Amino acid sequence: MDTAIDIGLKLVAITVAFTVVLLIVAYTVLAERRVLGFIQGRLGPNRVGPGGMLQPFADLLKFILKEDIVPDKSTRFIYFLAPVIATMAALMTMIVYPFGPETRIPFTDYSLPLTIARFDVGLLYVLGITSIGVYGIMLAGWSSNNKYSLMGGLRASSQMISYELALGLSLIGVILLAGTLDLGQIVENQSGWHGMRWFIFFHPLGFVVYLIAAIAETNRVPFDLPEAETELVAGFHTEYSAMKFALFFLAEYINMFTVSMLATTLFLGGWNVPFAEDIFGRGTFLFGLVSAIGFILKVIFFLFLYIWLRGTLPRFRFDQLMNFGWKVLLPFALFSIFLTATLIFLFPGL
Amino acid sequence: MLVLLFILFAGMAIGCALAVVAQRNPLYSAISLIGVFISLACLYVMLAAPFIAAVQVIVYAGAIMVLVVFVIMLLNVEEEERRRGRLKFLLPLAIGLSAVLIAEVVFILVSMQAPLVASAPAGPAVGLTHSVGSALFTQYLLPFEITSILILMAIVGAMTLARRGGLLSATARIVPGAAHLPLSLIDPAVGHESTEGVEAETTAEAERLLGIDNVSRPPKRN
Repeated sequence: MDTAIDIGLKLVAITVAFTVVLLIVAYTVLAERRVLGFIQGRLGPNRVGPGGMLQPFADLLKFILKEDIVPDKSTRFIYFLAPVIATMAALMTMIVYPFGPETRIPFTDYSLPLTIARFDVGLLYVLGITSIGVYGIMLAGWSSNNKYSLMGGLRASSQMISYELALGLSLIGVILLAGTLDLGQIVENQSGWHGMRWFIFFHPLGFVVYLIAAIAETNRVPFDLPEAETELVAGFHTEYSAMKFALFFLAEYINMFTVSMLATTLFLGGWNVPFAEDIFGRGTFLFGLVSAIGFILKVIFFLFLYIWLRGTLPRFRFDQLMNFGWKVLLPFALFSIFLTATLIFLFPGL
Repeated sequence: MLVLLFILFAGMAIGCALAVVAQRNPLYSAISLIGVFISLACLYVMLAAPFIAAVQVIVYAGAIMVLVVFVIMLLNVEEEERRRGRLKFLLPLAIGLSAVLIAEVVFILVSMQAPLVASAPAGPAVGLTHSVGSALFTQYLLPFEITSILILMAIVGAMTLARRGGLLSATARIVPGAAHLPLSLIDPAVGHESTEGVEAETTAEAERLLGIDNVSRPPKRN
């Protein structure tokens, strides 16, 4: 009986988490268009619903109703597989993030951790699934049988495997500080100092390296060379239309969301909200609610940063991108490990 | 439940492994190999070794196979034609060897039945990050460090190979820096038995030493 309730609660948690995340992702698209409009001195979409709030649903309807075009000479099986891999890999990382602490459900005795799955190697799981996501883009570029697609796919994969190194190295400082790979435990370890003992204060250089590498990992401006429209039409998804294009689009925004969640979890204290524990007490429903909202707000801050960068920065050239990744970011990541390790060595009680 | 999952993942692994060999399109083979690695990772998770599983996915499925797929895409390898008649003598040999392998497995399973069950509960923490890490950095430190030196050597070797000029044609330019050129590479008429070579810092110097500075060159392609 208890197992049945556990499975039921898990299913509810999965449904709620995925719905919330997908809604935020949908509204990120709208927010991006409105904020870009603001930055560029124009209005952006504001006609569908009040202030354009129904625009994401109109877009979805448009994607579903559009004609689905498949190029004649494409490798059909892989052509259909690629967007599925991209979206699956993007969604699969979502299950390990701790959205909030252990929370009692109101009017019952049940306590529920606001994490879908928690395991010993949560951080490595995220890195592993992210590295699988590269295949979606590579295979899309190859199977479309289009030179722009192929160039975009090659660029994307070389960029992602180059910046994955700096990204992984920038996380090592956090692992050193937390002493675990379990994301839930990493967040717990940041709950000291009234919820302000965030790892960004001990590992600031690593945070900067992570932020830059994460933008490159998600192929966003100023590292959006795989889909540079002035050179490659649309890069790897040139030949994709209708719902298959929507899947790539969705995967890109979910990836933005997940790297923001990882940055929040590892560097900004996850669900720790300053003084929330002192006011509400541990394990209560209100504490869980405030923590979860705090987590989402921190993630939204990173999403806004993404949009802001897109409105502000010009695109890199490809050789600049590679030089920057290998010759600047990687040494800085190694140096940040050295700094943090020295800090831990000098102050062992940290 | 666990048995069902094991059958599912083991079946996936074997099916994908067969597909690696059977596919004639190299890209399909590579994708099947990724499938093999991922099903193996699932099996590791079932064996309560999540760290090994994660490393399996990151290193093999995420890094090495990306490079393999990358090379296949760059070279644009064509679908392989089925070749008849060649290597036919290998078929009975393969059947014989696989029979020996299966016999070995059966023998081990039959003879080791009792001790296998006895040694199975090796402790709950054996595959976790902490136990793997402490074993690597204490008991197995020397092999670990030797392996890292081996990998470093491989990296340096790859760099050296990539930076060397390699086979120079007559139209190639020598990058400043000492390069030892066998004469036959530049002038095929000398023949392969000639081991004569020159040491030169620049293209012009090499040409003068070889006596080919007056040879007419094909026009530069742009």
